[in-house]
Amino acid sequence: MGTAKSPDMSPPVDEKRASFEREALVHLDVLYRVGLRLTGNPADADDLVQETMLKAYRAWDQYEKGTNARAWLLTILRHAFINEYRRRTRHPETVDVDTIEPYAVFSEVQDEDPQGAFFDRIVDDEVLRAIDGLPEAFRETLVLSDVEGLSYQEIAGILEVPVGTVKSRLFRARHLLQKKLYEYAVEMGYIKGSPA
Amino acid sequence: MNCRECVEHLYEFLDRELTPDLEREIRAHLEDCPPCGEQFDFEELYLRFLRARCRTQGAPADLKRRVLRELFGE
Repeated sequence: MGTAKSPDMSPPVDEKRASFEREALVHLDVLYRVGLRLTGNPADADDLVQETMLKAYRAWDQYEKGTNARAWLLTILRHAFINEYRRRTRHPETVDVDTIEPYAVFSEVQDEDPQGAFFDRIVDDEVLRAIDGLPEAFRETLVLSDVEGLSYQEIAGILEVPVGTVKSRLFRARHLLQKKLYEYAVEMGYIKGSPA
Repeated sequence: MNCRECVEHLYEFLDRELTPDLEREIRAHLEDCPPCGEQFDFEELYLRFLRARCRTQGAPADLKRRVLRELFGE
């Protein structure tokens, strides 16, 4: 068997590495942010991302180049999280997220602050803390959509749920988070508001 | 299109997930209906705010080095 050319379909190592760097490693920030919101702490997020990259590199030949590496990687990350981290990092969900009623902050603030200027006074850490307090099914949907900008279809593929479920969870997640942030803003005196 | 129908599609509109026809109908309603317009603006600002607050953080430099070392022995 010759060594100059690959006898099978797998590309030479250099090529594999180059395409992996070009298409997968560029998503490290996305994977880390999503990993951090899933695990809830930087050390576990580091491990989760590292493991995701290893799994992805091993399976790289199966990935159809130039399609959607970000969604492919996020699917691997989520599976790794469910299989190895969820049990020890977070407690299983005890609420049925699909029955949580939406709550519209806009109707509370439309007279006092219809432009939502109070949002601007809430700092990064407070927003992230509020996101971390969401039920997991809401948190993962919201992070994929509102932080990373994935489409409903992409999110449905990663979470393995119908697009309709993505829509309804996103709607409820956004409102629940908005309510938390509004209550925080009232507490801090950023807005007078009325008790929610 | 009435206000209730319009608001039902609020997030799909902001997420650019609607068909062009429905998007046009919503736009037309928003032009004629300042209260709906205000609500859409509020939610749009909220989503923009979320994104701005949550994307400042990236992977630590050390993690990238760790991944490269693990994958390519560097």
